[in-house]
Order: sequence, then C-alpha cells, then structure tokens
Amino acid sequence: MARYFNTILVIALSLLRRFTRDKVALFFTFLFPLLFLFVFGALFRNDSVSFDIALINRSDTQFAEQFVKQVEKGKVFKINEKITTLDEAKERMGRGEIDSIIELPESFGKPNSQGIPSGKLTAYYEQANPQTGQTVAGVMQQTLDGINKGLTPQTEPFTVQQRPTKTANLSSFDFLLSGILGFTIMSLGIFGLANGLPADKKTGTLRRLRATPVKASQLIGAIALQYWVIGLLSVAVMLAVGLLVFDFNMRGDYLNLGIFATFSIFLMFGFGLAIGGWAKNENQSAPLSNLVAFPMMFLSGVFFPRFLMPEWLQGITYYLPLSPVIDGLRLIMTEGQTVLQLGPQLLIIGVWTVVIYALATKLFRWE
Amino acid sequence: MKQAIVGVSALRKKYGSQEVVKGISFTVNEGEVFGILGPNGAGKTTTLEMIEALRPIDDGQVTLDGLDVRREPQRVKERIGIQLQSSSFFDKMTLTEHIGMFASMYGATVDPQQLLQEVELADKAGSYVEKLSGGQKQRFSIAVALVNQPRVLFLDEPTTGLDPQARRHLWDLIKQIKKKGITVILTTHYMEEAELLCDRVAIMDNGEIIALDTPSQLVKDLLGKGFKKDVVVQQATLEDVFIDLTGKELRE
Repeated sequence: MARYFNTILVIALSLLRRFTRDKVALFFTFLFPLLFLFVFGALFRNDSVSFDIALINRSDTQFAEQFVKQVEKGKVFKINEKITTLDEAKERMGRGEIDSIIELPESFGKPNSQGIPSGKLTAYYEQANPQTGQTVAGVMQQTLDGINKGLTPQTEPFTVQQRPTKTANLSSFDFLLSGILGFTIMSLGIFGLANGLPADKKTGTLRRLRATPVKASQLIGAIALQYWVIGLLSVAVMLAVGLLVFDFNMRGDYLNLGIFATFSIFLMFGFGLAIGGWAKNENQSAPLSNLVAFPMMFLSGVFFPRFLMPEWLQGITYYLPLSPVIDGLRLIMTEGQTVLQLGPQLLIIGVWTVVIYALATKLFRWE
Repeated sequence: MKQAIVGVSALRKKYGSQEVVKGISFTVNEGEVFGILGPNGAGKTTTLEMIEALRPIDDGQVTLDGLDVRREPQRVKERIGIQLQSSSFFDKMTLTEHIGMFASMYGATVDPQQLLQEVELADKAGSYVEKLSGGQKQRFSIAVALVNQPRVLFLDEPTTGLDPQARRHLWDLIKQIKKKGITVILTTHYMEEAELLCDRVAIMDNGEIIALDTPSQLVKDLLGKGFKKDVVVQQATLEDVFIDLTGKELRE
C-alpha cells in the first residue's frame, strides 16, 4: 500500500519537474490567461461615468478662474488641456475624441446690475448624442446652483435628496477575474491532457510504462496530482495579479477558495482525461477538446457574465460544467461565501465529475 | 538438467481472421540467451508481447518463473525487464530521473549512477533521453529494463538501426548481462548476431517455429542434408573490412 502511493508521488514529482522545463506548457498555463486578464481587465477597469471635455475660457474674472478649478477637481469631467480654440474643439468632438465643449464667455463672472457675479456658459454637444449633452448640462447646472446658493442665500421650499447606496458593489472586474480563473482551470485540464496523453501514446511512452507493474490508477493519480499542483499555482498567480495590479477586493478566505478550486480542477481534469485517454493521436483529440471547451468558454461566463444572457439561455447554461465553477469562484471571492454555502454549485460539479470519470475509465486506451 | 524458466505451449494469437501465432511451443532455460529469429511479420514481436503479459493470450499457456502469465500478469511484470521495439521515454526528463521513476514503479531502490555506469552512460546522467544517439538510447533502454533486477530480460530487435560499432558494443553488454545469470530472450533478423550471442535459437516463419536448436547444430543439420554454398566461403566479410578500416571505437 505504501509502495502504491509512493509510486504515485515519485511519478507526479518527475512529471512536475518535466513540466517546469516545458516552455510552451508554461506559456499556455500561466502567461496566456494572464494576457486575457490584462486585456479584458484594462477594458473593464473604469466603471464610473466620466466625460472628456474641452473648456474654452474667454473670461479673465477671478470667478471664472475659480469655476474652472472646481470643474477640474470634480471626477465627472476630464478636461483636455491641449485644446484652446473653439474651432479645434468642435473638430475633435466631431471625431468623437471629446464628448462636450464648455465655453465661458468674456462676460462670465462679471458683476451684474445688482453687483452679484453672473454669466451664462454654453455647453456644446453632438446632435446625435443628446444624452451626453443633457448630462453635461445637468451637471454644470448643479455646479452653478451650488455657487448661486452661496451668493444669494435663501431656502428652497422643495428639494430632492440624493443618497447612493453601497452594497457588494460588484464591478465588472470581479466577474472577469472569476471568469478567467475558471477559464484557466478549464484549459489546463482539458487542453493540457487532451494534447499530452495522445502525444505520449504516439511516442510509445505509455506503452513503456505499461510494461512495468504500474497500474493505470497510479498513473492517472500521479497526473492528477501534477495538475492539481499546477492548477492551484496558476490560480494563485492570477489572484495575485488581480490583487496587486487591479486592486481586486478579496472578500472570501483562501482556504475555501483552495478547496473549491480543487474540486474544479478535478472535474476539468476528468474531461481532459476522457478525451486524451480515448484519443489515439492529436488528430482525434484536438477537434474534440475544442468541441467541448468552446461552448463552455462562451456560455459559462468567462468573458461576460451569464446574467447578461436571455433568461432561457441562462437556464440552460446554468448546468454546463464550467458555470458552477465560475459562479462558485465568484461567490467565494466577491461575496465571501464558504464552500458549505455552495451546495447547488457543488451538486452540479459532483454530478459531472461522476459522469466524466465513469466515461474516462471506460474509454481509456494505452496505445 | 537445466532448469526451464519460461515455458510456452500451444500459444495462439489471431488478429481478426488472420492467425499470426499458430500454436507454438518452446522452453527457455535459466541463464541462457534465447533467440527468436525470423523475417519481418513472422510473429516474433507478438509472441514476445504475449510472454511479457502485454498482449492478451488467445489460446495456450505461458509460464514464467513458475507463474501463469495469463493468471498473474502483474506478478510476471515484477520479475521481467523489457526493452520494447517501438517505445520511448519522456522528453525533458533526465536519465537519472527516469531511472528513479521506473524504480519506484517496482518499489525498488537503485543507484542510478551505478546502473548507468554498467551501460557506459554515466557521463550522460543529466542529459535528456532525446539528446542520446541511437546506440545510447538502446543501452539506456536496457538500463531501465534492469532497474528491478529482473529474472528474464526481453530485448526486441535491440540492434536494428545501429551502426556496426554500436551493434558490437551492445553485444558486449548483452554478454555481460548473461554473465550475471539473467536469462535473455531476444528477437533479431541478423543471423551473425544470433550466432554470436544465442545459446539456442528458434526460427519462426508465418507464425510457426520451423526450427529450434543451438546455432552450431542447426548449421550441422543443414550441412548434413548435403548443403553447399555456391561460392567458396570467404575468410572475411565486408563488415570485417568496415570494422578494420573504421575501428571498433563507438561513434556517438
């Protein structure tokens, strides 16, 4: 019995050492998903609404100067400092480089007949984009209202109080990270084995192993152990990048994440094992692994969350093997749930695991 | 009386409707080098793989070191060493790592360096298998087959594709293995190899054994039938010339 497990351990360690020397495998395991994370992470990073504007100030009053400063301080507007003339600004807006132009006329901020600074600013916007124009004008009006109140103190009889609520406040990056983690686990399990096993069959490596007393269960156990270590490692790398580069807010605990990731890796490994164990060569395994992986990639919430799908599609994709993996990872990481709370996800993973391993042991071929 | 270590009786194998091994029987004695000769497709490899418990036996019986191969394939595998004709090792894994891994499959502990020394590959211990030459690969393959100190060593066409120097080198290695008391069963289609190495040979053709004896007795029988070569026997062959000109040194 001790010998049985020792053999598994020795083979797993040998395979792990071999893996660290395989540059192609290292690239696809660690760098490739990281590339996804960086590309999509950069796209989704900025959630809050902001407008790029040009500010043309023709007034030399102190009031106008202070107003500009206040707009700069706010987060809603990003002022393009390079644009100085109205014509240039209009041209840029036509090309979509800026959303709006604010023009302060020469008289802006000069005292009126009652001695109070006053003026009228103009907000230009593209006719095709009325919403932007309304929003910009609205925000400007608010800013001016604030100033007006300071100048002519009086209480307004009716006001609206705005109060934003803040709950879990999931950003699109939270969805992206769990999606990419799921993708990493899936591609490692499916593509790693579905390519690796047939290659070892073709060269006769598996045949040579079969000539020894080693059992198929030991070999599979060793490869599983190898993939478990690599899988957890790549999840850790991903998560570290998410935390350090993208300010990801990890709400769950790492032990629960590790346990859930273990179930997930084991499930995806089963798919790779079934495909690679069945296929005689890469010509058989490559199309089959793509056939299995691609629907999961697009329907289980890797690149965009499943809740964006039509409801009937959500209902179906809920049962795909990768969906509970991604949902579970997200629930742990962004909502701080524990493995014990993930009953529905674990149930789907469990059923798929039983099915796929039954299939894998039936279909396994040494040559 | 020599002790039989491998016994084959009425062994059969069919692929589809074609019978490739047709009820052959023979025994291999402990400590001898036993050769199975024959043209390609004679059934040599299939016969070997059935004895090695790598291929299901259709009919007949094979015993190895007192074990029924059909009934106890796992225990048989523990006691034999195999060099397969078409097999390879893992890439990006050193010779030492391979030996350690294969030893663990037998629950054996070996000193990789010493084992590599025996096949003259000590200086290649840290190399990957794919970096070895053809002759080195075959010697390494034999080293791996020896990790469990087998009772019987199977070599399937060990010298096919090797240059004359590497082939002679491998012959020396096989002779050394024989000296240690390990029984060797090999297949080949080189007659001079069989004559030089084997204590007894079985000649196979079309799935049947058509002759089985010591090489010298087989030659004697042939001469007894009144056989004469067309040409007067040369005192040297072209291979002798080749070796004389290029030397016995290994080229790898």
